[in-house]
Amino acid sequence: MIKGTLGKTANTVILLIAVLVLNFAMIHVAPGDPVEALVGEMGGATTEQIAELRAQFGLDQPLYVQIGKYLWNVAQGDLGYSYYYDQPVTSLILDRIGPTLLLVTTALFSAIVIGTVLGVFSAQRRNSLLSHLVTVLSLAGFSAPVFWIGIMLILLLSVAIPILPISGMTSSEVPEGTFWYILDVAHHLVLPALTLGLIYLAFYSRLSRASMIEVLQTDYVRTARAKGLPRRMVIYKHALRNAVLPVVTFAGLQFGQVISGAVLVETVFAWPGLGTLAFDSILRRDTTTLLGILFFSALMVVVMNILTDIVYRRIDPRIKTA
Amino acid sequence: MFQRLSRTFLGALPVALALSVGAAPVAHAEPKAGGTLTTFTSGYRTLNPAVQSGASTGSPGSQIFAGLVTVGQDYKIQPYLAKDWEVSADQLTVTFNLVSGAKFHDGAPITGEDVKFSLETVKANHPFGAAMFGNVGEIDVPSPETVVIHLNQPVPGLLLSMQPLLMPILPKHVYGDGQDIKTHPRNMENVVGSGPFKVEENNPAERLVLVKNEDFFIEGRPYLDKIVYPMVKDPLTRVLMLEKGEIDFAPFSGIRPTDVARIERAEGVNLTTDGYDAIGYVHYFEMNLRNEPFSNREVREALAHAIDTGFLSKVIFGGKAVPGTGPLHTGNPFYSADVPMYEPDMDKAAAMLDAAGYPVKDGVRFSFVLDVPSWAPQAHVPMAEYIQAQLEKLNIKVELRKAPDFGTWVQRISSWDYEATMNGSFNYPDPTIGVHRHFDCDNIKNVIWANTEGYCNPEVDKLLDAAAVEVDFDKRKALYAELQKTIQQDLVFIYMPQDFSATVYSDAVGNMPDTPFGALAPMYDTYLDK
Repeated sequence: MIKGTLGKTANTVILLIAVLVLNFAMIHVAPGDPVEALVGEMGGATTEQIAELRAQFGLDQPLYVQIGKYLWNVAQGDLGYSYYYDQPVTSLILDRIGPTLLLVTTALFSAIVIGTVLGVFSAQRRNSLLSHLVTVLSLAGFSAPVFWIGIMLILLLSVAIPILPISGMTSSEVPEGTFWYILDVAHHLVLPALTLGLIYLAFYSRLSRASMIEVLQTDYVRTARAKGLPRRMVIYKHALRNAVLPVVTFAGLQFGQVISGAVLVETVFAWPGLGTLAFDSILRRDTTTLLGILFFSALMVVVMNILTDIVYRRIDPRIKTA
Repeated sequence: MFQRLSRTFLGALPVALALSVGAAPVAHAEPKAGGTLTTFTSGYRTLNPAVQSGASTGSPGSQIFAGLVTVGQDYKIQPYLAKDWEVSADQLTVTFNLVSGAKFHDGAPITGEDVKFSLETVKANHPFGAAMFGNVGEIDVPSPETVVIHLNQPVPGLLLSMQPLLMPILPKHVYGDGQDIKTHPRNMENVVGSGPFKVEENNPAERLVLVKNEDFFIEGRPYLDKIVYPMVKDPLTRVLMLEKGEIDFAPFSGIRPTDVARIERAEGVNLTTDGYDAIGYVHYFEMNLRNEPFSNREVREALAHAIDTGFLSKVIFGGKAVPGTGPLHTGNPFYSADVPMYEPDMDKAAAMLDAAGYPVKDGVRFSFVLDVPSWAPQAHVPMAEYIQAQLEKLNIKVELRKAPDFGTWVQRISSWDYEATMNGSFNYPDPTIGVHRHFDCDNIKNVIWANTEGYCNPEVDKLLDAAAVEVDFDKRKALYAELQKTIQQDLVFIYMPQDFSATVYSDAVGNMPDTPFGALAPMYDTYLDK
């Protein structure tokens, strides 16, 4: 058991280093450097100013020195300094992670619960109207681009029926820390969470439907039914427990990828999270920030995988420590 | 007195034009105090205009920091922090007298030492510092309310550069602590300014909130209690917020000409293109003049005959974008329309290409890659696609290479590793800032928006040098007229329609900032009538 944990930790560390090195290399393969982008945004500069900035950011050193320094800093828990924001990357990420977690957890959890319920229902009556409706809706939700859904929802719920704010996370008039502040954030959260949730919902309803159909055809379910157990008991106690395993797997995976999922939604709704930060960093060649976010995402994936493992074992006692 | 001074120093502007003064109130009676004006921001990295040019920093920056002067209608220089000024007969000494009792937001008095510090800081750190103030020598502060600037040579655009966008008055006791001003922490945190509004909340991820400076040195101003800049990146979201009234005032709205009708239909929402003359945003087709075929002027002339900018303006931009005729924006005080123009004529273009040694061979005359930057797609993409289609008719194959991001494009152009690109730049009111940089032989540098095309004409250099120090407005205007003629004659660039820059605002906004600097000027006269 301890040996297994040690091995896993070593694997994880190697994986994270590989992610860092690969990301670093890939970003530097792209043409253009942070100083050129920065100078462009400043509206130009003299050759001397450019050279000075390069030296200040350490970009005048050979790539292997830069990468070595970067790895060493990360090992000490320092993700570097953002050229663009003039702030340590760690504090930038910590500032932005809250809104993203709020958005993604709200969207993901509502989608998992509602999606699973819908999937389970439609699996039981495969040819009913409800079942077909769920299939059609989830196909549409799955294939429509997320920004399009976002804009359509804005048009519907902010413009045609003006009940929700178009963008942002808070109103400027509401003081932070009050009860009204919580309500205000919740009010702003509805549209982006709905947009992101619809995509996830489509996915989870399809997944749980397919998984439930499969489980319902297994022998042990047939046995349970033959024993004369009530329908409800068969579905919820026997079948669902197994059918929900793939849902857990994917929830874990997807939660690890929160940032990638949130980029577009955050941009459309001006949600002040990590997604917008990542998007801006790419456009601005703010490489340290971008590297920091990518590293942070990799860390999230690793942590979520471990958590998924734990949840798995609780749901299915047959899975033992591998 | 100001009128007299501005005539001799800045140069006299046409008298008839100079008669209209200040921002004219439109359809509102009495200005009202109070209210929160909501505008927007698309993101900024600093609030200090001394180290960053452009609108994202400039529009809040000009509210937070005061300048020595403001620029009124028709470029009339008006007193601001300087109550008056005097220029010596030899044009080499300028004395500014400051208003009494002006204070920074932290209560410290604004003195001549702060002005001196600001000018030196801008000169050394602003992207245009050297262009604007390169000839500024010694600065004396004989008394706390007097600043004397000694010039090595006359600087005709000096006063125009003294407004807050380009020369913000910074507190020396904050920024003079020896830290590098470009990365000074106080550029974003606990910002202490000198202007009509103070920073209340600065959270670039979400919003910037400015509140009225109760101790502002102009009695009874500003009218507004607050200006709120929520962060809105997505242009479509912005349009919806405007239509819904969540934004009152949107300068640099990024509205496409095709959206104009829609905005004008919306209840209580107006659109104006006033307030962009000083910025003077021009677009052009830039060719790398170092290599064949663009090193050949005949080829460039053929292209000019093939590219019908009138058609682009009228058809592609719905008649909303003014065709450019040269390096100066039509709203620039030195603009001249008297330049060679190349009438649209495809047959003539084909004949010229034949004569220049580029006949059709295997169906093609020549081919090139046209870079399209990522930063003004609403303008550059249709322009590039039109050029591609027109040149196709002449058997010139154009491959469009759309840059995925800003850095990629900047790298290609500033390292001269390109054949042709769509491009655009700001004039700024004085040509020494935004125009000279493109044509000066000494400025052929690996820097974006320098002379990247590689144009060098000693005659032009002479004109630039003379115009840079000519203080007589009419003589200077004649020099720039000659420059515009020569640039069009040499076809350094092929000028495209000028930028369609528009401000969208609600009926409630009174005293819209519609001077040449528009929303980049201080908005202490603006009010809300809700």
